[in-house]
Order: sequence, then C-alpha cells, then structure tokens
Amino acid sequence: MAEEKKLLKVTIDNITIEVEPGTSILQAARRIGGDVAPPAMCYYTKLKGSGGKCRTCLVEVAAGSVADPRPMPKLVASCRTNVMDGMVVKNITSEKVIDARNGVVEFLLINHPLDCPICDQAGECHLQDLSYEHGKEGTRYEFPRRTFEKHDLGPYIQLHMTRCIMCFRCVYAADQLTEKRQHGILDRGDHAEIATYIQQSLEHDFIGNVIDVCPVGALTDKTFRFKNRVWFLKPVQAHRDCTHPKCCGKVTLWYRGEEVFRVTARKDQWGEVEDWICNECRFEKKKTADWEIEGPTVVNRHSVISQGHYVGVHKPKEVLYDVLDGLKPRLFMDIHSVSEVNEPGRDLSRIEGPAHSTDFKE
Amino acid sequence: MKFSEDTLKKVAEVIARYPEGKSKSALLPVLHMAQDEFGGWLSPATMDYVAGLLNLEPIEVYEVATFYSMYNLKPVGKYIFEVCQTGPCMLNGSDRIIDYIKAKLQIGVGETTQDGLFTLKTVECLGACGYAPMMQMGKNYREHLTKEKVDAIIEECRQNAALNN
Amino acid sequence: MSIKLLLEKANVPGIISYEVYRREGGYASVEKALRNMTPDQVTDEVKKSGLRGRGGAGFPTGLKWSFLAKPDGVPRHLVCNADESEPGTFKDRYLMEFLPHLLIEGLIVSSFALGSHHTYIYIRGEYAWIPDILEKAIAEAKENGWLGKNILGTGFDCEIYVHRGAGAYICGEETALIESLEGKRGNPRIKPPFPAIKGVWDRPTVVNNVESLAAVVPIINYGAEAYAKIGIGKSTGTKLISACGNINKPGVYEIDMTISVEDFIYSDEYCGGIAHGKKLKACIPGGSSVPILPANLLLKTAKGEKRLMNYESLADGGFATGSSMGSGGFIVLDEDQCVVKHTMTLSRFYRHESCGQCSPCREGTGWMEKILKNIEYGKGKMSDIDLLWDIQRRIEGNTICPLGDAAAWPVAAAIRHFRDEFEWHIRYPEEAQQRNFGLAHYADPLPAPQSA
Repeated sequence: MAEEKKLLKVTIDNITIEVEPGTSILQAARRIGGDVAPPAMCYYTKLKGSGGKCRTCLVEVAAGSVADPRPMPKLVASCRTNVMDGMVVKNITSEKVIDARNGVVEFLLINHPLDCPICDQAGECHLQDLSYEHGKEGTRYEFPRRTFEKHDLGPYIQLHMTRCIMCFRCVYAADQLTEKRQHGILDRGDHAEIATYIQQSLEHDFIGNVIDVCPVGALTDKTFRFKNRVWFLKPVQAHRDCTHPKCCGKVTLWYRGEEVFRVTARKDQWGEVEDWICNECRFEKKKTADWEIEGPTVVNRHSVISQGHYVGVHKPKEVLYDVLDGLKPRLFMDIHSVSEVNEPGRDLSRIEGPAHSTDFKE
Repeated sequence: MKFSEDTLKKVAEVIARYPEGKSKSALLPVLHMAQDEFGGWLSPATMDYVAGLLNLEPIEVYEVATFYSMYNLKPVGKYIFEVCQTGPCMLNGSDRIIDYIKAKLQIGVGETTQDGLFTLKTVECLGACGYAPMMQMGKNYREHLTKEKVDAIIEECRQNAALNN
Repeated sequence: MSIKLLLEKANVPGIISYEVYRREGGYASVEKALRNMTPDQVTDEVKKSGLRGRGGAGFPTGLKWSFLAKPDGVPRHLVCNADESEPGTFKDRYLMEFLPHLLIEGLIVSSFALGSHHTYIYIRGEYAWIPDILEKAIAEAKENGWLGKNILGTGFDCEIYVHRGAGAYICGEETALIESLEGKRGNPRIKPPFPAIKGVWDRPTVVNNVESLAAVVPIINYGAEAYAKIGIGKSTGTKLISACGNINKPGVYEIDMTISVEDFIYSDEYCGGIAHGKKLKACIPGGSSVPILPANLLLKTAKGEKRLMNYESLADGGFATGSSMGSGGFIVLDEDQCVVKHTMTLSRFYRHESCGQCSPCREGTGWMEKILKNIEYGKGKMSDIDLLWDIQRRIEGNTICPLGDAAAWPVAAAIRHFRDEFEWHIRYPEEAQQRNFGLAHYADPLPAPQSA
C-alpha cells in the first residue's frame, strides 16, 4: 500500500488550501489562482534553481507553521520558500508586500528603456503587466539610463541587453536544455550583462527556448523582429512529427491572415512553456503545410492578444440592466452612428496586414 | 599558449586540494597564475586555455573572470597603482594622492602611461584602513602614502624597469 | 592594561615562526582538545564561552557549530572566512600577518570539533602576500605533527588549504564565499538550505571568521568559564577593534568589552585621541555597514549613560539612536570631515560590490550613489533627501543577502542624524564646494531624557 502523504494546510490571503509537502508558497498560491498568485519574473517551474532573484514575488509570512507560529521577520521570496503546515501568508492583503513590490517594480524600471512601442515583446511582456499593476506614471529616476555594447547572438536570437532584468532564466535554460552553454552572466552589479564575451552566435538546436523563457524583450525571435504586433496575430495550436528527440513538436502558430508570422512553444496561464521545442520547429517551419492544426489557442480575455480576434466569440452577459433593476441607462450618444472607424460589424482580424484608414472607407 | 612545467605542477597541486570531480574550485587560483604568467592580464586565449585545463566551458571562465575585480581583462602597465578611495582612505586624503598621481604620470584613472610602465586604477576598500591612504602595487600594499612616497615609488619602479630591460 | 587573549604574544619577536610560537605555549589547545576532549565537548565549551561570531553578525559560534548536519558518509567542512573586506576592518589581516600560527591552531581545534578533515581558509585576493605566510605556517605545523594524518596519535586527520579570492566584498557573505570556493561567481545563495545542511560541494559546512576561530584557542586553554567571565553580559571574551580615520593611533587593538567608547578614543593605550587636536564629529563603530553616530550619541546613549564598547551598549537605542558592534571596524571622523561625502564613498563602495543578482540591491545601490554624488557636488535637490530615504527603505530587508541592508543602513543613519548637513549642501551648493559643514551641534550634550 502506498504511504499516504500528509497534506499541509496553508492560508494565503485568507484562503486555506491543502498542498503536498515540498510545495512552494508561490505554487500553492497559483493553485488558488487569480490575484492571490504573486507575480514571478525570475522563477520558472521548469528551470531548476531559478527564482529568488527578482524579488517581485515577496510575501509576508504572518505565521510560520503550527509548530512555530511566529511570523517571519522579513518578507520572503514565495517562489523559494516552502509551505509549512499551518503557515499563514499574506500577499495582496499585506500593505508591506504591496509597498515592497512597488519598490521592486520601480527598481526594475529605472534602467529599463521603456521602449515598448518598438519592442516585439510588447503585449506579452511580464514587465509591462507588472508596471501596469504596480508602477507609477512618472519616474523618480533622473539619470541617464544604463546602456550596453551591442552584442550579436546570430541569425535567430536578438539580444536587447538594456531591456534585461537579470532573471537568469536564459542561463538556466541553456544549462539545462543544451549540452554546451555559450552565453552567461558577465561582469557584476549594475553592469552585469547577458553575453557570450567573445561575440559568437548561439548555435545549439534547442537554444531558441531562451526566447520563450525571457520575461521581457531582452531575447526576441529575430525571424519575427518588427514583423508584426502580437495583438494583431491569431494564435493557433498545432503540432508536427518533429524528429528531434527532445522536441515535443507541439507549438502555437501565430497567424496574420494566411501567413504564419512566428512559432512559439505553448504557454500555460502563468506564461510558462508547457514543453520545449527545437529551433527547426521554431524558426524554419513557417508554413501551414508544415503543421497539423488543432484549433485556436485559448487566450485569457484580460490579455491584449485576445482583442478583436475571433468572430462570433461568446460575449459576457451585460449585467448593467440587472444591476439597475431592469432600468435602462439613458444613451447620450451612440458612438457607432458618428464614428467612421468603429462601425458595427467591422472585424479587425479580417484585415490583412496593418490596418489603415483606407480599410475603413470601403 | 601553455603554462611552464613548474606552473603546471602547481596547478595539479591546487586541483588536488579539492574533492575529486570538483576541479572547478581551482578556477580562481589558476586564473591568478595565468594572469601572472601571461602578461598581467587575461586575454580570451588565456581564459580558453584555462577552461581547457580545468575541463570547463569557456563561458564559465568568462563569467568568473569578469566578476572579480582583480582580473585584468585588458592589457595593463608593468606597474599598476591601485589606490583605495573608500571612506577611511578618503578621510585621510586619498583624493589628493589620486590627483597627484594623475598629474605626475599625466594619465587619468583607468589609463596607462605611453611607455606602458604605469596603470592607475581606483579601487574600493583593501583592508588597510588604519594605514591610509594606501594603494596596492602588485602583490604588496604601499601604505601611509604621501606625495614624497609616491615620488619614491615611481622612481623605484622606473629603476627596476630599467634594470630588467 | 586590559586582558589580552589573542594579541598577548603579538609583540614577541619571531612569533610568526613555529619555534617561537611553540616555545611561547602555542598548540597547547590542540594537545588539550585532541587528547582529553571529545569533539562534542569542544563544541560545548565554545557554546559555554558565549563567543559570538566576530565577522559582523555576532551570531553565537557554538550554536552555529551545533547546527552542523552530520549525515553518515558525507564529509563536512570548516571554512575560515578571511575575506575581510568591510571598510574600516583590518583586524583579521593583522592576526594572519603577525600571528599565523594562532589561526592555524584555532583551525585545528575547530576542525576536530566539527569533524572537518579538509579545512579551507578563504582569503581575500588583495591580501596577496598573506597566503605565503599562512602556507608556511601550515607546512611548519604539518612538519611538527599538528596537521596531516593521525594527529598526535589520536586518529584525527586534518589538512588546511588556503584559497585566495580575487576581489569581491560579497564573498564575505558565507554562501557567496562557498560559491566562490567552488570556483563560481560570488553570488549569494538563496537560503534555505543553510550551509550547515548543504554548503560547499553540497556538503555540511561551517563558515567562521578568522578572529572567531582564533578565539577558540584561549577558550580551550583557559576554559569556557574563565573566558565568559571576561566582558559584560552577552559580550564575552575579548574583541579585536581595528581603529582608523582621524585618530592619533590607528591600528588593531584587543579590548575586553567593559571599556567605554570615550576611553577607547581618547586613552593613550588605544586611539590616543583625535588627530591634530581636532574635535570628534562622528564615528562608525563597527565597520561601514553599521549606522554612523554623531559624537554626542556615540559617547552617551540616549538615556544619558556612558556607551561601552560591547555588543549591547553599542546597539543601545536600536537604529534610532544606537549602532552596532559589527565587525569591529572603528571609523572616526573629525570636525573637518563631510558626512555627505563620506556617505557617498560608502555608497560607491556598495554599488561597486553588489553582485547584481537581485533587483533592489543591483538597481538601488547605484541610484543612491548617483543622488549622493549630486548632493555632494552641488546639484542636489531638497526632495533628494526623502528620495534617498525611500530608496534605502525599499532595499533594506528585501534582498537575498545582507549586502542590501549593509548598503541601506549607512545612508539611513547619515540622513537620520545629519539631515541638516545634507540640507546645507543643497541650500548652499557653492559654499559646500568651498568648505565643510563642520562640527555644528553634533557634539553638543543631548537634552536629559524626560521621564514619563
């Protein structure tokens, strides 16, 4: 008979759940889901040793355990702190946590170029999300932002060191997915950087995964560079019989019209890849004929990528009438009647290529 | 590029200090030896050689060499003046010493004189706070610096260089 | 003259050599421990002595030893932390340079207590000439049967190796030191696991400061009780203080922890007063990371009591009006010194030494340095002071290792106690380039504390 594992009780933001021993606070919080899950910029479930560095997932431990109910003196990194039985954790219910997290976000942004308008990661960038939730509209940093010497990593991967937040994920990925790591963290302190030292291209046939693990726009797909904005693309699940022994062959294709603009690994709701893919799948297979299409990717409706993609999506019920007890709000102006752009029935996703004003005059 | 026989013996000795399979532990000491033996700095070729010697990927060596402040990644002068500028030395006038060396050698911080003899660097606390102001020169510390002492040190270096040429 | 346990023989000519050291009674503690005591008895003795880690944190050494995991078949290691890099601190260097055998002796006894057969001394790279001294002492000890196989016929084997760093303050943090010993970048590890469970090469490891390990020698020689009798309260034994800055006699002093700060600064036995007949303005009593205090709060606590050179008294008043014993790096500023500039150099130091691994320290240290530079060079704004306060507040406690705190505290304390000097710099930027703020009111007697 298998030995029954004793489950541990943990309370996070007043919600109690039971988890297996060895579960981190972050994983337990993700089990609860929603806003209770702390943001994680450096931790990555699939990368051993990752986490603890960015400090965005700091939480307050109000009670350590049943055995030792004392609070922990400092905020702890939830990604690297394991749950104890009877632990009480405060995430968004702790002012201390929110204050510290705001601080961390400010630190991450002071030297960030904020070049989202020309960054390929925009729309799926974790730092963007984090700044949206915790950042301020202005900056208190009045000094020139840090710059680095340009470093070319070859035909597939574009490095923008100024955007890097030093999460170390790409280094762990190269360590754990390839036999020979070529890039690493050089220098130290505020001038530490991701580089190869002697300029060389990253050649390993699994190295493309560093693009998927990068939480920001520091490592992007060169074959997709400046080609399109992600929110204009339609993600579609697909697979192929990949011959690479480690590649799962299951991907997301990003379409615009009939054209596949890029291929990525499939990601879960936390933005982590479900399984790794090889460079060939990612960079070389950009025709629909290369793939077996499974169907549209489910996109979180809060994501900008979900904007205006699918015809006939189920619209959530209009609750205003219920709230107003059956009364209808008075309509001051029907915007559709005066706008030349937002005409009803105009489906942005049907427009090929970037939308121009002429598209709306048809 | 190859270490002398003596150094190679020393490398083997150092590796033997650590448990089997943990020869990476010898990286810091071996990089020191490499810097001493191959011209006072770590060229990419030198680092690659060390990587081969210890069975490491070159990037592992670059990561380490760029982390620690004592490894020179660019060619340096024959004599490096590393003047401490942290709190306790500052209280005892390290700024004046740095300015004096700059003026005397006609170089800025981080630069090397044209004859390739002297490099001036500012460094952070070297643990000689009671003997401030001070600088490191090669293996040793020069402490209680004054302008006169700096003059004497420069003269000493020039003479040594002339003798060894 | 106060009691000397570590530096007692420091002035004996030739004490650096094995012959003289042995003739003066050296290695007696090894004989006593290995022949008459069990490892646990040695650990108990260190516990009873009340010895607190001399590297800065002040954690009880015996307690730390008792946490060491001892799984069967897994080697354990003692690592001596000789990465002394805290500005103001140069006491370990003195011990190693002039009394190398004392450290080796302490290491042998401690290795025996912990069951470490391969013990390492991690020494900062800049102390480039000291490994030769230590290696010579190790060789001499080995020749005379104190190291190697079957020491004193007790069956205990021990080797000591010197491992030289290459310039990184962060390697004084024990997990960064362990990484560095493994030949990696000195990035502190995320704890747990603690080194006592998983340290160097994933083996149970104890990391102790040079002075702590040297102090094991008198503890074994004279007994824990006698050792604990010296000092006051939880500040037992003697402490090495490295005094520097604007004093007449900078150097390394051994004190028993009953002496007052005032006596330490002004008596001829120690610092010999402020240099050039000037007045005392401020002091950092325990290495650059601990809070700076103005003269009035340094000599007397907020309660109006004489402040003593020990762990409790220096910390009296918490960070609001007290400081900390830290590593014993005693930095004295005279009336002509500028606290803003001094704080700026410390911020530059911490920015330079940040490993860059975690965001608050990597980004925050550089930001503080830049603002302090602006204020020092006449480009500051009044709002900068509050901004500095906010930055240090958000670094403190939120980083992987204590370097974040160490970078935050000096800035916090400088603003807390010297805010008017910062404001003066901002209000009179041109004047501030010409002269310093001076002593101002920083040595004025404090108002008597009000009782409720």
